[in-house]
Amino acid sequence: MLHILLDSLAMIALCYVMGFLFRGFYRQFNARLQRRWGPSIWQNFYDNLKFLLKSETLIHGPMFFFGPIIIAAGAITTVLFIPFLKDSIWLQGVSAHGNLILIIYLLVVGPLGNALAVGSSGNPFGVMGVTRGLTRLMGLEVPFFLGLALVMLQHETASVQAIMAAQDSIAHWNLITNPLAFAVILLPFIASQNGSPFDVVGAPVEVYAGPRVEFGGRLLGVLMTQNMMMTVAKLVLMVDLFLGGASNIFELIAKAFALFLLTTAISATFPRLKTEQTVDFFWTVPLGVAVLGVILNVWLI
Amino acid sequence: MTTNRPLLLKLLFLAVSLTPTLTLLTWDGAWVWPLFGEFELLFQLEPLAAFFLLLLALGAPLVALPMARGTPDVPTYALFVLLLLGMQVLLLAGDFIGLFIGWEIMTWSSYLLLIRSTRATLEGAQTYILFNLASAFLLLAGLLVFYSATGDFQIAALTEASTAQRWAVFVLLGLAFLVKVGVLPLHRWIPLGYDQAPDLFSAVLAGLISKMGVYGLLLLPTLFPDALAGLAGRWLNGPTAGYGLAWIGAITAIVATFKAISQQDIKRLLAYSSIAQLGYVLTALGVGSSLAVGGAILQTLVHTLVKLLLFITFAGIILQTGQRRFNDLGHLIDRMPVAFFAVLIGIIGLAGMPPLPGFAAKYLVFVGLIDARWLLLLAAMMLSSTAAFIYCYRLIYGPFLGHANSPEARDATEAPMSYLIPQIVLMGLLVLLGIFPGWAIEIIVDPVLTALNLAPIGAPSWGELATPYGGYDGVILMTVFGSAFVIVTALFWLARGQLRRAGSPYDLSFAGEVPTADMPLHYGAGMGRELRRIPLIGWILAHTTTGIQAGLTRQTLATAGLLGGLYRRDPQTWILLAVLVLASVPTLLLLNGGNS
Amino acid sequence: MYHKSACEGFQCEQQLLESSLSQADAGLGVVERLVGWLRQRSLFVLAYGTGCGAIEMRPLMTSRFDAERFGIIGAATPRQADVLVISGYLAIKTLKRVIRSYEQMQEPKYVIALGSCTINGGMYWDSYNTIKCLDHYIPVDMYVNGCMPRPESLIEGFSALQARIGRGEPSGYQRYRDNIDWYKANQRRVLGDNMPPAYTYDWYSGGAV
Repeated sequence: MLHILLDSLAMIALCYVMGFLFRGFYRQFNARLQRRWGPSIWQNFYDNLKFLLKSETLIHGPMFFFGPIIIAAGAITTVLFIPFLKDSIWLQGVSAHGNLILIIYLLVVGPLGNALAVGSSGNPFGVMGVTRGLTRLMGLEVPFFLGLALVMLQHETASVQAIMAAQDSIAHWNLITNPLAFAVILLPFIASQNGSPFDVVGAPVEVYAGPRVEFGGRLLGVLMTQNMMMTVAKLVLMVDLFLGGASNIFELIAKAFALFLLTTAISATFPRLKTEQTVDFFWTVPLGVAVLGVILNVWLI
Repeated sequence: MTTNRPLLLKLLFLAVSLTPTLTLLTWDGAWVWPLFGEFELLFQLEPLAAFFLLLLALGAPLVALPMARGTPDVPTYALFVLLLLGMQVLLLAGDFIGLFIGWEIMTWSSYLLLIRSTRATLEGAQTYILFNLASAFLLLAGLLVFYSATGDFQIAALTEASTAQRWAVFVLLGLAFLVKVGVLPLHRWIPLGYDQAPDLFSAVLAGLISKMGVYGLLLLPTLFPDALAGLAGRWLNGPTAGYGLAWIGAITAIVATFKAISQQDIKRLLAYSSIAQLGYVLTALGVGSSLAVGGAILQTLVHTLVKLLLFITFAGIILQTGQRRFNDLGHLIDRMPVAFFAVLIGIIGLAGMPPLPGFAAKYLVFVGLIDARWLLLLAAMMLSSTAAFIYCYRLIYGPFLGHANSPEARDATEAPMSYLIPQIVLMGLLVLLGIFPGWAIEIIVDPVLTALNLAPIGAPSWGELATPYGGYDGVILMTVFGSAFVIVTALFWLARGQLRRAGSPYDLSFAGEVPTADMPLHYGAGMGRELRRIPLIGWILAHTTTGIQAGLTRQTLATAGLLGGLYRRDPQTWILLAVLVLASVPTLLLLNGGNS
Repeated sequence: MYHKSACEGFQCEQQLLESSLSQADAGLGVVERLVGWLRQRSLFVLAYGTGCGAIEMRPLMTSRFDAERFGIIGAATPRQADVLVISGYLAIKTLKRVIRSYEQMQEPKYVIALGSCTINGGMYWDSYNTIKCLDHYIPVDMYVNGCMPRPESLIEGFSALQARIGRGEPSGYQRYRDNIDWYKANQRRVLGDNMPPAYTYDWYSGGAV
């Protein structure tokens, strides 16, 4: 029991620290691409703590208050159901009692809880943002899940631990053995991270409408915290599934960072798509590749 | 004496609504009732029928409770009792004659109940009865072909029939049950019927009567053993005949989901979502493996509970406000908190989100599809189940969140107790099943699977759902989520800073403006309209199946015209024709008989 | 180059003024100073483009001057913002919206006023429909004078504000809270019947917080 508690705390802390450092790196990386100096790498940590330390928070009723709490609880649950390391008793959380499909659904529990809060604020701009988010989710989940299904089919299991254990050497990484699945998943993965070409939902800074329009003060701080944790959780999941997992923390950070660098480079390159363009894109290009993958995997081989 | 009559009537009605429970608990062995000739009616309780009787036993009293409110409406009570009788006859029947009798009683009593609604139109009532009669006649035709192949009405495996006969039985019976389930393009009676039926009766239609179609579809594997594979061989890891069935289900689910998103009326949206949910069941039945059929059974159970919950809750809201469209309601969360939680639990179940059993059902179906290697179907199911999030969100945003959009919504109160009790019971059942998916598998799903000659799924513990592809533990999931929720809330309260509740619902971040009460701030009606810009969805929403049915009508009329051409004005020609036929057929038969 | 420790010539005037204003550590504990330090590291800006000064906000945020390296970044809505930047003259019509946005921001919140117009009306000193002294309507924390102030001076202004936040000194929002009746009277004088509804501000005096 004590072990599980310590382990869970360690996972949450690792996720949080990696989260703000990665996000800080992302901002600096973007700044350098734009020939700027950029903020400090700790900037997201400062931002987050500033919001958590705000002295005033406006709420629009109980459901508005509980929305960010639900999304944070959902993020913690997701983190604890993802195994961070293989061949180790540490950083496992309760992943032995979960599976890949459960994790995929847990990823959206929180945002849906938060959508209730946005709705109860009564701000039409917020609900507009939620609708955009749900529409994008509908677009990205189809190729994303089909890519994951290819991996599950390959290993004939939905258990992340078993998939990770099967990739014992670099030649057995799913990235090498099933590159088509990785190609299918990469772009929907960026969208699920709210990454740049597909980030019209929140549209940081410039669009007024978005799910966060009514959130301020400490509730916004909670939203930022869970967002950073979720970023790392999804990266770790991808590392587990495609890059063979990790045996120690340093390997984990290195692999997650490599993947993050790839997605960051893609995000920094392409201009933003509208919501309907996003969905249409996901239903043509990644889904097309996925169907090709299904034909190759299921019918030809 | 006279003052007590309504109360007595209500008590009697409630007592009769408990008969399915009684049947389920006490029926043992078979009961044979000799009919003409060597035929006899056989009534026995098979495990498969017991599962559907369980649904009936759960649903009937819960709907009867709010129905018994107010002045007693004797014809409605009588028809409801008749409906319960019909469904029990249908489920207990061990042969096709009993099944057909039950089916007819169910069809007619439900039709008479439906037209008692003040909202029923001629079009709605006619569509309902025409589709259901078509279903009944297809059933009749199917069972006659079955009889001609086996010489018996007993529901048993069809082993010694020819391929043509097997296909005929499969298509006829399949179509009969698919009409009841409401697959595309045979679904038109569902949105009309569910919309126009009395509000509480919609719960019975969606929760119980549509499940009789699922019961029929589950009889098909009994008739065609080896999970339909005996019919047309196998495709990848599943039966080919099932592959077609599964695609019909998946396309139904996708189209119905998008149709649901674009509805403006709560009950119509629920009707389309019902079609979509039963589409999943059909897909799972098509796979036919133990995992997928287990998922289908669980999904049937969850859908019954969810639809009973949602329809009863919205019946309560319509009772209190008189409004049934998304843009006429809003911000009921403060005034009807129980209804809010009921709909919240309902949509979590409908969307198949993790803590509730909807996820367990979906998980089994997904794993079943992966196991059968039917990945394209998996993608189709994923599409419709993620798109379902949008209508689920509408379902809770439109009535409960946002701004009150009509005077009735501004001062509504919680529905009466007789509506709240079923809601609370159903919420409790859903949460319990969600925490203990293993228990649901062990007690409810596995006996049915065993009866269908499939391997039971089994469960290591009550909390755990286990499959060859891995599983999950509902108890641990709920514990982790619950403790995370409590800890985050506690930390939030412990931290410094104050919370302030907005002084007015119009205190919004609105680009510097101050919105007023006459601004259209409620986004309930327009939500989903912008989806039409996505080419695929725009195409689906721009087309309807009325064209197919209009074409069918035209063809029928043309055929009738052709037959009518034979009919001469003068009856002598007809009589002559009849005499000729009557004279020649026995002659031919005699000649043939003489030759052989 | 623009780091807050460096100033030359007239730029040092403000620093001199401020250093005379501030007490040593204002009697703050460790936690308060840490909180102040964290708050000054991250300022989300709601740039209210009321006048011509808005043109100077773009170079401030983009590559040339890059305010993001001080943790200064734009916010989409007033709920998320810490700093309200009033860029230039303020017509009475816009004043209503500015007050609304200011009241929707979550405390602690600060106001930076840009250009001469916000101090004394500037070139609009005798205009019939602009306000002359912004501080009478919402509490200004920091003036950046000039017509227009260059991004350099804006950064100076932000740095000075950051230093003040870091020292934990009382800010404008506390002044607004304490003197809400005076501010509201001033606002009512220019807005007349056009005042936002009472629920937008009555919680200040109602002791609801």
